[in-house]
Amino acid sequence: MAEAFGYFLIAWSDPWLLFLTGAGTLSGIYVGAIPGLSVTMAASILISFTFKWDVNEALALISGVFFGGVYGGSRTAILLNIPGAPSAIATAIEGYPLAKRGEAGEAIGLTTVMSVFGGFIGIMALALFAPFISEFALMFQSRDYLLLGLIGILLVGTLSGESFAKGVFAGALGVLIGMVGLDPMTAEGRFTFNTITLMGGIPYVAAMIGFFGVAEALVQLHTLDVPAIKQKIDRIIPRFSDVKKYFWLAIRASGIGTIIGALPGTGGDIAALLAYDDAKRSTKNPERPFGEGCREGLVAPEAANNAAVGGAYIPMLTLGIPGDAVTAVIIGALFIHGLRPGPLLLVETPHLFWFIVGSLTLANIFLLIFGLTGIRVFTKIVECPKAVLIPLIIILSAVGTYAIQNNPVDIYWMLLFGVVGYFMKTYGFQVGPVILGVILGPMMDSNYRRAMISARQDFGNFFWAFVSNPITLVLTTAFVLMILSQTPLWKMVFGRSRNKTSKKT
Amino acid sequence: MATDHAPQTVDCDAGRRRPGELVFALVILVFSVAAFWQAYEISGFTGKTTPGVFPMLASGTLVVSGLLILLSALKTRAPDTSNGSVTKRFFTEVFSLHHIVLIVLVLGYLFVMPWFGFLLSSGLFLMAAFQYLWRKNVLITLLLTAVALATIYVIFREVFQVVLPQGTLLRGLL
Repeated sequence: MAEAFGYFLIAWSDPWLLFLTGAGTLSGIYVGAIPGLSVTMAASILISFTFKWDVNEALALISGVFFGGVYGGSRTAILLNIPGAPSAIATAIEGYPLAKRGEAGEAIGLTTVMSVFGGFIGIMALALFAPFISEFALMFQSRDYLLLGLIGILLVGTLSGESFAKGVFAGALGVLIGMVGLDPMTAEGRFTFNTITLMGGIPYVAAMIGFFGVAEALVQLHTLDVPAIKQKIDRIIPRFSDVKKYFWLAIRASGIGTIIGALPGTGGDIAALLAYDDAKRSTKNPERPFGEGCREGLVAPEAANNAAVGGAYIPMLTLGIPGDAVTAVIIGALFIHGLRPGPLLLVETPHLFWFIVGSLTLANIFLLIFGLTGIRVFTKIVECPKAVLIPLIIILSAVGTYAIQNNPVDIYWMLLFGVVGYFMKTYGFQVGPVILGVILGPMMDSNYRRAMISARQDFGNFFWAFVSNPITLVLTTAFVLMILSQTPLWKMVFGRSRNKTSKKT
Repeated sequence: MATDHAPQTVDCDAGRRRPGELVFALVILVFSVAAFWQAYEISGFTGKTTPGVFPMLASGTLVVSGLLILLSALKTRAPDTSNGSVTKRFFTEVFSLHHIVLIVLVLGYLFVMPWFGFLLSSGLFLMAAFQYLWRKNVLITLLLTAVALATIYVIFREVFQVVLPQGTLLRGLL
C-alpha cells in the first residue's frame, strides 16, 4: 500500500512531470473547447510527439490532455452554444440559455467544480476496482478476448453512428487496416502486394492522425466563415450553497458516468446524455424547466463525462480493451512505449498503474485551477479564425506522423486516411470504430487463432466453448443480443411492445 | 469523451441521399470485394488458423455491410436537384473547391518536403493556405506564418526533440 502511494506521488513530486500534467490539462481544455478539435485529435497528434519520451512523461501529458479535453467542450457549449465535443451536447442545452441570461460565468464555474468532482469519483473507481477486475480478467480465455474486442467495436459502431451497417463497416475496415503487413504468427505477408513498405504494416498513428486530424480539418472547411459570438462573463466561482445543493445529483451522475465509461465501447458522450436524461427524470422541481437553463441539467452531464474518464481507463488497463476512440489512441501510445495493457499490467508493472492514477488525480486538480481562471483569454482563443486553424492542424498532423518512424511515406498515408475519413464522416459513418478496429484487429486475430488451436481446429469444439463456460457465455449472450437487436425482427417484436408501454404511461 | 462526431456538413434534405452518397456506397462495395479477393489470396480455405482466415472474416463483413449500405442508399430518395445537378451539388457542398485546393496544397507540400526540408516547405504551405483561406494582406499572412513556424519549431524541435524532415537541397541550412 505504501509502495502504491509512493508510485502515486511520482507525478506530484517531479517538477517536470508536474509541468507536463499541467501543460497537458491546459492544452486539453483549449483544444477540447475549439469546436471541431476533439480530444481524440489532440491525443492522437500528441502521442506521436511523446514517442521518444520516458513513459511517465508521456502518461502525465496524456492524462492532462484527456481530462482537460473532456471538460473543455463544455465551455464552448455554454458560451457559443456549440458543444466543443459531443460529450458536451447536453451541456449546451442548459448552458447556453444560462449564458443568454448573463450567467455564463456562474455556469462555467459550476460545470468546472462538478466536472472535477465527477473526475475524482471516476479516479476512485479506477483505483478501487481495477485491481479486482484485472484479477478476474486473469480467468479470461482467448475466446473471451475475441468477444470483448467484437463487442467493443460493435458498441462504438452502433451507439453513435447513423446506421448499424455503417458502424460495422467502419469497424471491419479498421480490422482490415490492422491486418496489413507480416502476420505476427507465421511471418506471411498479408495485403502487402510484395512491397517492402507494406510489409511493416500501415502505421496506426498515421491512421489515427489522418482520421481524426486531417479528416476533421477538412470537415471544418465547411464552417470557415461562421463568426463567433461574444458573451459577458462575471462571477465564476460558484456559490457554496449551489455546490451543496447539487451534491447528491453529482454523485449519482458520476456513478452513471463511471459505469458507462468502464463499459467497452461507450464513453463520455453517452455517459453525459444518459446522466442528463436521468437528471431530467429524477429532478422533481427544477428551478427552471429543463432546456431553459436548468442547473441540474448542467451538473449531471458534466459530472458524468469526467467520471467516465477514470471509468474508461478500467477496461483499457485491466483488459487491454479500449472503451472508445480516445482510449484506443491512448492504448496505441502505451503500445508504442512497449507496454502491454491487460490483466498482467497491474501484476508486472504496478508502478505504472499507480502512476497513472496519481497523474489523473493531479490533472483533475489542475482542471479546477485552469477551469476557474483565464476565461477571458479563452474567449479570444476560441475566436481564432478557422482559416488559420486548419492549415496549422495539417502541419501539426504532418509533424506528428513523421515523428513516429521518420518516414515521409507515412504522411501520405495520413493524407489518404484523412480524405477517406472525410468522406466517411460526410456520409454518416463514424471513424471511431475504425481506430478501435485497427487497435483491436491484430489482438482479435491472434486470440481467434489461439482459441481455434485450443479447440483442436474443430468448429464443434470451438463453438461449444462459447456457450459452455460461464464467463464466455455471458459475453456470447451480450454479443448475440447486440446483433439481434439490430435486426428488423427484433424491432418488430420489441418495438411493438415498447409502443404499448409508452402508450400506457 | 470527445470522440469524433457526425458533422453537419451537408444539409441532409431530410430523408434524401446526400450528393455522391450512392457513388460512395458503390465505391466502398467494390473496395470490399477487392479486399475479400486479396484476403482469399493469402491462404484460401486451406485451414482454420491460417493467416488468411481473419482477413477474410473482416473483408467478408465489409462486403455484407457494404451491400446493406448500398441497399439502404438505393432505398432513400435521390438528392434534391432543384438547386443544381447532383454533380454540381457534390462539388459545392461535399467536395468544394476549398477542399480540392487544400488537398492539392498538402500534396505539393509533401512533394517538395524531401528537397526543401520541413521549415521551408511548411512555410510555403502555410503562406499559400492562409492566403487562400483567409484572404488577408500578404504582410499579415507572412507575419503569421513566421510566428507559427517559429512556435512550432521551438516547441517540437527544441522542447519535444522531434526529428523534423530535412531537405536535400538545403541540407544543414534549414
